[in-house]
Amino acid sequence: MIFDDLRAIQLRYGFLPKAELEGLSQRAQTPLYQIHSVASFYPHFHLALPAKAEIRVCADMSCHLNGACGLRAELERRFAGSRAEEVQIRDVSCLGRCDRAPAVSINDQIFTDVTATNAEQIGRGALRNEEVREAHAEHGRVACKADPYGDGEKYGMVRQLIQTRNCDEVLAQLKAAELRGMGGAGFPTSMKWDLVRKQPDPVKYIVCNADESEPGTIKDRFIMTHLPHLVIEGMLIAGLVTGAKRGILYIRHEYAMQEEILGEEIRRCYQAGLLGKKIRGSDLDFDLEVFVSPGGYICGEESALIEAIEGHRAEPRNKPPFPGQVGLWQKPTVINNVETFINVPQILARGLDWFAAQGVNGSRGLKFVGVSGQVERAGVFEVPMGTPMREVIFKHAGGVRGGRSLKAFAPSGPSSGYLPASMVDVRLDFKALADAGSMLGSGAIIVCDDTTCMLDMALNAVRFYRNESCGKCVPCRLGSQKMTDLLVRWTQGSVSEPQYQADLALLDDLSQSMSQTSICGLGQIAPAPIQSVLKHFRAEIDAHVLKGQCPSGICFTAASRTGEAQRVGIRP
Amino acid sequence: MTTSAPLPGMIEISIDGKSVRVPSGTTVFDAARMNGINIPTLCHLQNQTPVGVCRLCVVDTGARVLSASCVRPVEPAMKVVTNSEKVLNARKTLLELLMSDHPSPCARQEKSGDCELEALAKAAGITQPRFAKRMVVRGKDDSSLAIAVDHDACILCDRCIRGCDEVKNNFVLGRMGKGYSAVIAFDLNAPMGGSTCISCGECMVSCPTGALTNRGLAGTAIAADSRAEIFEAEELLQIPVFQGVSGTFLELNRGAIVKRRFRKGEVICREGEFGSTAFYIVEGRARVSISSPIAHVKTQGGAKGFFKRLTSTLVGREEDTREDEARDRTIPIDASVDLSYGNPVAELSPGDLFGEMTCMNFYPRSATVIAESDVVAYEMLRNVLDIMLKNKTFRAQLDETYRRRALENHLRGVPMFANLSAEFIAHIKESVELQRFAPGQTIVRQGEPADSFYLVRIGFVKVSENYPGGEVVLAYLSRGDYFGEIGLLSGGVRTATCTALDHVELVRISGDDFRDMVVRFPSVRSGIEAIAVERSAANKQRLQMVHSVPIDQFLSQGLMEAQSLLVLDLQNCTRCDACVNACADAHDGVTRLVRDGLRFDRYLVATSCRQCRDPLCMVGCPVGSIRRRNSLEVIIEDWCIGCGLCARNCPYGNINLHPFEVLADDPENAGRKKAAIKQKATSCDLCTHLKEPSCVYACPHDAAHRVDPKTFFAEMLSQTSAK
Repeated sequence: MIFDDLRAIQLRYGFLPKAELEGLSQRAQTPLYQIHSVASFYPHFHLALPAKAEIRVCADMSCHLNGACGLRAELERRFAGSRAEEVQIRDVSCLGRCDRAPAVSINDQIFTDVTATNAEQIGRGALRNEEVREAHAEHGRVACKADPYGDGEKYGMVRQLIQTRNCDEVLAQLKAAELRGMGGAGFPTSMKWDLVRKQPDPVKYIVCNADESEPGTIKDRFIMTHLPHLVIEGMLIAGLVTGAKRGILYIRHEYAMQEEILGEEIRRCYQAGLLGKKIRGSDLDFDLEVFVSPGGYICGEESALIEAIEGHRAEPRNKPPFPGQVGLWQKPTVINNVETFINVPQILARGLDWFAAQGVNGSRGLKFVGVSGQVERAGVFEVPMGTPMREVIFKHAGGVRGGRSLKAFAPSGPSSGYLPASMVDVRLDFKALADAGSMLGSGAIIVCDDTTCMLDMALNAVRFYRNESCGKCVPCRLGSQKMTDLLVRWTQGSVSEPQYQADLALLDDLSQSMSQTSICGLGQIAPAPIQSVLKHFRAEIDAHVLKGQCPSGICFTAASRTGEAQRVGIRP
Repeated sequence: MTTSAPLPGMIEISIDGKSVRVPSGTTVFDAARMNGINIPTLCHLQNQTPVGVCRLCVVDTGARVLSASCVRPVEPAMKVVTNSEKVLNARKTLLELLMSDHPSPCARQEKSGDCELEALAKAAGITQPRFAKRMVVRGKDDSSLAIAVDHDACILCDRCIRGCDEVKNNFVLGRMGKGYSAVIAFDLNAPMGGSTCISCGECMVSCPTGALTNRGLAGTAIAADSRAEIFEAEELLQIPVFQGVSGTFLELNRGAIVKRRFRKGEVICREGEFGSTAFYIVEGRARVSISSPIAHVKTQGGAKGFFKRLTSTLVGREEDTREDEARDRTIPIDASVDLSYGNPVAELSPGDLFGEMTCMNFYPRSATVIAESDVVAYEMLRNVLDIMLKNKTFRAQLDETYRRRALENHLRGVPMFANLSAEFIAHIKESVELQRFAPGQTIVRQGEPADSFYLVRIGFVKVSENYPGGEVVLAYLSRGDYFGEIGLLSGGVRTATCTALDHVELVRISGDDFRDMVVRFPSVRSGIEAIAVERSAANKQRLQMVHSVPIDQFLSQGLMEAQSLLVLDLQNCTRCDACVNACADAHDGVTRLVRDGLRFDRYLVATSCRQCRDPLCMVGCPVGSIRRRNSLEVIIEDWCIGCGLCARNCPYGNINLHPFEVLADDPENAGRKKAAIKQKATSCDLCTHLKEPSCVYACPHDAAHRVDPKTFFAEMLSQTSAK
C-alpha cells in the first residue's frame, strides 16, 4: 500500500526525502511521478522537512465563529521572532472538533478549546523537542436510543440473518422504512444495496464512509465513539445481503481515538467469530478492516474515497458508472455513511413501527446532529427526525451563546447554505429542508449570532471549497478561486453600482456553470453559501459593496485583508 | 414504410432533436461527431482514454446536472441537447475561467496561431474575461532542450499525462498538488530536462495550448547540401534507436538529422571550428587527432637592445619542464575516447558518437576527425541528439563504450588514481553510475551529506561556496576533472555547491567504493589527502579575498573579481604607449596589453588578465586547456587548439590569440606536411621571465603598476565606505 510506505518513510524522517521516494519507486515498481502526484495531493504528507512546531489553526465555520482568526494572529505575534524552520503557523481545514472550537493541530496532534496561551505553551514545548501529544479523553459510553441492545448481547441481527438468510426481507424492511443515506445526498439505501446485490460479479465490497470532513460535521465521531458495534453490524449485514466478503471502514486520520475504539471492536468480533471466515460456523465470510484517510475533505466524496483506497489522488470519478456497478478496484461496491449503517440493525431489531414512531411531525427515525458555532452547549444530539430546528438549537444546544439573538444558521455546514433566523422553525427532515432551499445533509448545524457578518461567512465557506477542491475539473478548480477573489473584493472596498450589477451577473453565471458542470458535489455545491446569503441577507451585501460598510464591523479591517493574503498559497 | 427496430447492440438516441443510432457503449460525444454534430472539447483526444476534466463537452441529458459527453455512454431513449442556452452559457463561463488565467497569446498561439483554447474562446465571443487574473505566476521550465514548458498556459487537461502514460508508456508526467495550485510535474517535480523524460514529444503534440511547445532552436535543420540525405520520419522510425520516439516530433524536426557519406581521407570535422552537430558513425573507420602542436608558448630573451626583447616560441615539454604538470595524462576530447598526451591519435568505429559537447553545448570542436575508410555517419542537431541520449538502448551502448574506452583513462588522469590496480579499475568500471544533469541543476549542495565522488565526463560544473552575502566561484570543472573528495574525506559534509552549467554528464563513484579504494590503496589516500589539503587551502585563500566592500562601482567594474591588475596612474601617465610597445616587443610584436579600459578614481585599469575569481574564460574550453591548477593563476595548457572561445568569453578582452607558423598535415597531399598558421591563446604572463613585467619596467613616468586591487584600493575603499 502506497500510503503505508509513505507513512513509514515520514515516520522515520519527519518528511518524504527524495532519495527515499526514488527507492520506493524502484521497490514498488511505481513511476516516480505517480508517487509524487499522490504524495503532493494529501496534506498529511510533507515533501520538505516541516518546522519543529507546525501550528495549524482550523479556519472553518465553527472555529471561525469562535475566534480562530484572532487566535492565529495572536500566535503569529507571539512567535514573531521564530525562524521558519522552527515555527510555521498556517490555516488548516476543519479538524472535526467543531463542538470544542477553536481547534488547533500542532505537529498533527489535535487540541481543542485552544487559547493563544496554551497553544504557545505546546508550541514552545515542541521547540524544546518535547513530544506533542493530544489528550484522548476517557470516554464513558453514552446510552443512545438508537442502540437496540443496551447492555444485552450485541449483533443479534447478524446472528438472526445467518440463521434465516432472508436477505429479501432485510431489503424490504429498509425499503419500507424509507431509509435514506445520512451522509448528505440522501440516496435510498435499499436501492443501493439491491443494485449491488444484483451485480453478477462474485467480488464486491462494503465501504463505510467515516471521513466526515464538512465543517460542523461531528456526528459520526460521536456514533463511532458510542455505537461502534452498530457500525460494524450494519456493514456486516450489508455484506451478507449483497454478497460482499470484504468491508473497509474509511476513517479520517484526525479521528485517532475512534480508530482505536473501532479497532478494538473489530478485534472482539473476530474473536467472537462474527468476522472472518465462516461467520458463527456458517459458510459466510466477511472481513473488515479500517483504512485511515491520508486527508482532505474531497475524500468524503464516494468515488474520490475509492480512489484514495486504491492509492491514487482522491479525484472523484465521472459518473455513471456509479460505485454500485463499478466501485472499489472496479468491483460493485456499497458505500454508506456511518449513520446509515447504524440505522439498519435498529430497523431490523425494533421493526418498522418503532422506527416510524421515533420521528415527529411526519418524519421517521432518529437523527444525530452536531450543533456548533455560537451556542451555549455545542455537541452531538440524538433527536427525532422532524424536530424543528428551533428546538434543536434552543432546547438541546441551550440557545445562542451569551443570550444574544440568532441571526442565521446553516442546517448542514457550508453545503446547506445559510438560513435566516426567521426560518428557524423549519423541521429537520429531508423534504422540509429541501423545500426551504437548503438540505438535511449530514446534520451539521452551525449557529451564527447577531454579531456575524454573513458576507464574511459566505467567503469563509467558499474559501473552504477552494482549499479543498481536488483540482480535477475546470469549473471547481478555477471557479472556486475566482469566486473567492470576487468575494474578497467585495469585502475590501466599495464598487460602483454598474460594477456591482456586473459582478452579480458574473457570480450568477459562475454559480450556474459550477453547479451544472462540476464532476462532483463539491464544485456543484460550492456556490450555495453565497447564493443563500444573497437570497436572505441581500441588504448586508449591498451595504458592503455599494457603501463600503460592514454592518458587523468585520470586513474592511486590516485583519480581514491579511487573512486572505496568507491564505492564497494553500500548500506552500 | 416500416420503422425498423434497432439492430441488436445498437442504441437509438436523439441529439438536438435528430434521431441517431449508434452501437451501445458509444459515448455521447462520439455519437454526436458521427452524426455531424461537433461538441467542443479541450481535454479529449481520440487516441486517449477520455477523462472528462475540462467539462467543455457538457450536454444536457435531462439529468439534474449537465454531463460531460466524452465520458457519458449513450443510453436507450436518451435525449441529448448539445446547444441549448443553458449548455452554451455553462461552456462560455468555463472558457472565460480558463482564459482569465491564460497568458494570451500563449507561445503556441503566437507561433502557429492554433492554441485550441484561444480558438474556442474566440468562437464563443470572449474578448475580455470578466474574472480576476491569476495572482501567482506558476512559471516556465526551459530545462529541456526539445520542449519548452509554460505552466501558466497549462489548463490541466491531462492530455500530456495520458500521452506520456498510455500512448508512449514513459510514465514521467503527472499532476502535482491539489486544487487551484495543482500543476503538471515531471518525476518528483524535477526540471523537465533533468527528469527521466526521453523527449519523445508526445506530451507536446498532445498539448492543446502553449504549455508544452517545440523549442524552436536556431537552425532546426542541418544546412542541406547534395551530400546530406534527409531522413523522413517513417525511415527514422525503422532505425532501432529511434523506435519509441514520437513520429510527430520527428516530423517537426525534419532535417535535424541527415545521413552523410565521407570518402577515405576526407575531413569530417576540424578542431577549433564552431559547430552544433554531433556525428554517429554507422559504417567505416575514422581517425580522431589533434593537429595543433602540443607545446608551451615560451617567452625567451632574444635580441638585445635598450628594452630587453623577448620572443614567444612553441617549445615542447621536454625542453620546457614546468612544475606540477602531470607527466602522463590524457587530453580530454569530445568523443568516446580520450587522446593520450604523447600520441594524440585514436580510432573511431561504428557505434561511436563524437561531437556531443559541440552539439549539446555549442562548444568548438575539440579534435579533427578524418575518414580512414569510406564512412557513413548520421549528423544530428541538438534536439535529435537529446532524444537519442534519452533512448535506453542507445544510452546503454554509449555508456558501455565509455566504460570500456575512456573511463580508465579518466580515472588514471586523476593524479592520485594513477596507481590503482587493474583489478580495482575493472571493479569500479562496473559499479560506477553514469548520471546526467540539465543546465542549472544542482549536483551537490554545500552542507549536505557527502555520499559520492564524481568525475566529469561531459560539460562544465561550477563549484561555488556560499558565504554570508554571496557566492564565490571556486572553479569550473570540465571533462577529466573530478570533485567530491573533500566532503568524503573531511567529515562527510559537502563543503561547496556544484552546479551543472550546461548539459553535464558525470561518473558517480559511490561513497562505499571510494572509501574501499582509499583503504586498499594507501597511495590514493595520501594523494587525495594532499590534494584535498591543497584545494581547501586554495579555496580558503579565495574566500579570504572576499571582503564585504559595499562599493557599487568597484563591484560593477569587476574589480572585486580581480586578483591582480595592471593600473595606470592617469595623473602621471602621458599616454606615450611605451607600455604597449614594450609588451608587443616582449611578445613577438603581438601586444597582450591594451591601454584602454575602465577607470576607477584616477587609475586606468588596463586590459590585461586579472586572474578573476570567477574565471568565465574557462567555461567551454573544448579540451580543458585553460584552467587553474592549484593556484589562483589562470593558465593555458599546452594542448590549446586555438579555437578562441576563451578570448570571446573573457569579459575584459584580456585573452589574445597568438599566431604561430607550424608544419601541419597537408589536406591535399596525404602524408605530406606544409606550412600553416596555428593559433594559441595567450594572456598576460606577467613577463614571468623578467624581473618585472616589461610594461611596468618600460614606463618612463612611473605610472604603470601591477597591483592587488584589494590592497591597492583598500585605503580608498575604506574612505569611501566611511562616507
